Amino acid sequence: MTENILNIEGLKTYFFTEAGIVKAVDDISFNLKKNESLGLVGESGSGKTVTALSVLRIVPKPGKIIDGKVEFNGDDLLEKTEKEMQKMRGSEIAIIFQDPSSSLNPVYNVETQLRDVILAHQTVPKAETRKKVIELLEVVGIPEAETRMREYPHQFSGGMKQRVAIARALACEPTLLFADEPTTNLDVTIQAQVLNLLNDLKKKFNMSLVMITHDMGIIAEMTTRIVVLYAGRVCEIAKTHDLFERPRHPYTEALLAAVPRLDMKKTLRIIPGNIPNLIEPPSGCRFHPRCKHAKNTCKEKIPVLEEIEPEHFVACHEWQNISLKGERKH
Amino acid sequence: MASNKKGEKIKEKSKRRPASQWAVAWRRFKRNKAGVFGLIIVMAVFFVGIFGSFFAPYPARPNKDAIKPFYKGDVRKPPSWLDPEEPNNFKYLFGTTPIGTDVFSDVIHGTKYTIYVGLLVTAITMALSIVVGAIAGFYGRWVDNLLMRISEVFLVFPALLFILVFVRIFTLTVGDPFLTIPIINIQIPAGLTIVVVILGLFNWASNARMIRGEFLRIRELEFIEAERALGASNTRIIFRHILPNLLSSIIVVSSLTIAYAILLEAAVSFLGFGDVNTITWGQILQENFSEMRIVWWAEIFPGLAILLTVFGFNLLGDGLSDALNPRLRD
Repeated sequence: MTENILNIEGLKTYFFTEAGIVKAVDDISFNLKKNESLGLVGESGSGKTVTALSVLRIVPKPGKIIDGKVEFNGDDLLEKTEKEMQKMRGSEIAIIFQDPSSSLNPVYNVETQLRDVILAHQTVPKAETRKKVIELLEVVGIPEAETRMREYPHQFSGGMKQRVAIARALACEPTLLFADEPTTNLDVTIQAQVLNLLNDLKKKFNMSLVMITHDMGIIAEMTTRIVVLYAGRVCEIAKTHDLFERPRHPYTEALLAAVPRLDMKKTLRIIPGNIPNLIEPPSGCRFHPRCKHAKNTCKEKIPVLEEIEPEHFVACHEWQNISLKGERKH
Repeated sequence: MASNKKGEKIKEKSKRRPASQWAVAWRRFKRNKAGVFGLIIVMAVFFVGIFGSFFAPYPARPNKDAIKPFYKGDVRKPPSWLDPEEPNNFKYLFGTTPIGTDVFSDVIHGTKYTIYVGLLVTAITMALSIVVGAIAGFYGRWVDNLLMRISEVFLVFPALLFILVFVRIFTLTVGDPFLTIPIINIQIPAGLTIVVVILGLFNWASNARMIRGEFLRIRELEFIEAERALGASNTRIIFRHILPNLLSSIIVVSSLTIAYAILLEAAVSFLGFGDVNTITWGQILQENFSEMRIVWWAEIFPGLAILLTVFGFNLLGDGLSDALNPRLRD
C-alpha cells in the first residue's frame, strides 16, 4: 500500500484585502500518494496556486492560512516554525513557477543561483557544488552546461530559462514538486519538451508531482489523478481516465467541453459567466449560477464531497439525476 | 551550406566567455560623451585631491609659509598672467588674497577636503537611506508608515537652517583642529567632520524614499517568491536578492549625492559656519567675500572649482544612470 506524502484537510486561506475577505481557498481537502502525479485543475482564480503556496506557507500578504491541516509525510506543516519551514522549502518541497523570465534573479548567473540553493540546504565544498551544478544543468538538458552556467538569465531563451528554474527546484532533490503552470508562457513546441523533461525527472528523482494548470491536454498527458477546483472549493476528484470519460460534476463536463478538438465538428463550448467574486461567493454550491442543472437545493446547501465510486469523489447535489458527457477515449 | 554556416557561428559564440553585466554597462558608458567627460573631471579632482600637496606651490594652511606676501606692500595680486608687473606668467596663476596666500595653492589644498566631504557625506547618507528604505519597503505596514512620515518631516524642514544651527552648536565643542584616529594614524579635520556628519544626517530622506520605492517594486517580483519557495530567509532576500538589484540605482544616486554634498558644504562654509581650520573651497569664498570687487580672482577660481566638480559628478551620475538602466534612456 502506498502511503500519502501529502494530506490536505480543510485548508482555508483567506486574503484580508481592503475590499473585504477574499476566500481564495475555502475548505479544500485532498491527498497525494507517493510517486503520484496529481493534477490541480481550474479556471484562473480558482485557488490552484494559492493551495500550492499554502502548502509551502509562502502565501503573500494580506493572505493568511486560517484553518486546516497540511500533513507532509505525517507532520503538520502548519504547526512548524518559520525556521523549520525554511529548511523544508527547496529541500523537501519545491515549486516551479509559471513565468521563467521573472522567477530567476536577473543579477546572478545561473551557477550562482543554483549554488545558492544547494548551499542553503547542504554543506558541500565549493569544488563539489560546481560539479553538482553542471550535473543538474545536464540533467535538465542544457547543452554546454559548463559555459552556459556562467551566463545570466537574460541570455537564455524562455524554454532554457524554465529548464534552469527546474534545475534549481531539483537542486536538493525534493520529494514533492509543485509545477505551477510551468509551460503556460512557453512556445507549444517547447511545452512538450519541458513536460517530457518533468516526467523523466519525476521518475529519476522519485518525486511526487502536483501539476497545476488549466490546460486539460497537459493534465491528460501528465497526471494519473485530478482534483478539480472551482472558486476555492473542490468539485471533483478522480483518476484521470475516469474523469475524462465519466465526469460527474457539471463544472468538470463544462471544462472538458471547452477544450478545442479537431475530431469533433462542433463549435467550442464556453462556460457562461465568470468565476464568482470570492469576497461574496454564491451561497450553496458555488457553481450554481453558471450551472444549467442547478436546482433550489444548490442555492441553499453547500454540497459535500462524497465518494460515489472507489476513488471518485464529487461535490454535487444533483450528480445522481444528471448524465454528463465526457470525452470518448480513442 | 547555410545551416552549416549558422551552426558554426553558434558554436563560436558559445565558446566566448559571456560578458558580465559590468562589462556591458562599461561599453554602454563609453559611448556616452558627456558621461566620459564627467568621469575625466572626477578623476582629475581625485588626482589633485590625492597628489595636490606634491605640486602645490605653497604649503597648506595653517603652515606659516602659506601666508607669505609676494611683494612688499599690497598683497592683492591678480593672476600672474594678467599682472603687467609680473614677468612670470605662472608665478601665481589664480592671483593672491588680501592676507597674502596663493589662491592656486588654496584651491589645490581644498580639493582633498572636497573629496572628504563628498565621499563621507554620501557614505553616511546612503547607509542611512538604505537601512531606512529597506526596512520601510520590505516590511511595509506601520513600520513603513512611521519611517516615511519621519522622512517627510526631514523633507519639509528648511534643512540648511537646521544644518547651520547644529553646525554652530557642535563646532563650539571642538578642541583640537585635527584629530588623529588611532591605529590607522590618519589625521582628520575635527570641525569639518562635524559638518560632514550633520550634512549626512540631514540628507537621507529623499534617497531613502527612492530605495523604499525600489524595494516595494522588487519585493513583488516573482523571483522573490521563488527564492522564498526555495528556503530563503528575510535577511537573505533583502541582502542577497533585493539589494544587488538596486546596486545600479544606488551607484547613480551616490554620484549625484556627492555633487550635492559638495555644494552644500560650500554653502555652509560660505555662510561662515564652516571650520576655519580647514580651508575648503567654500571657506576661500567666505574669506575673500568682503573684498570681492577688488580681488574677484579669489572668488572666481574657487567658485569655478566647485562648479566644475559638481558638474563632473552630475555628468558622471547621468552617464552611469544611462549605462546601468538602459530603459530609462528615452
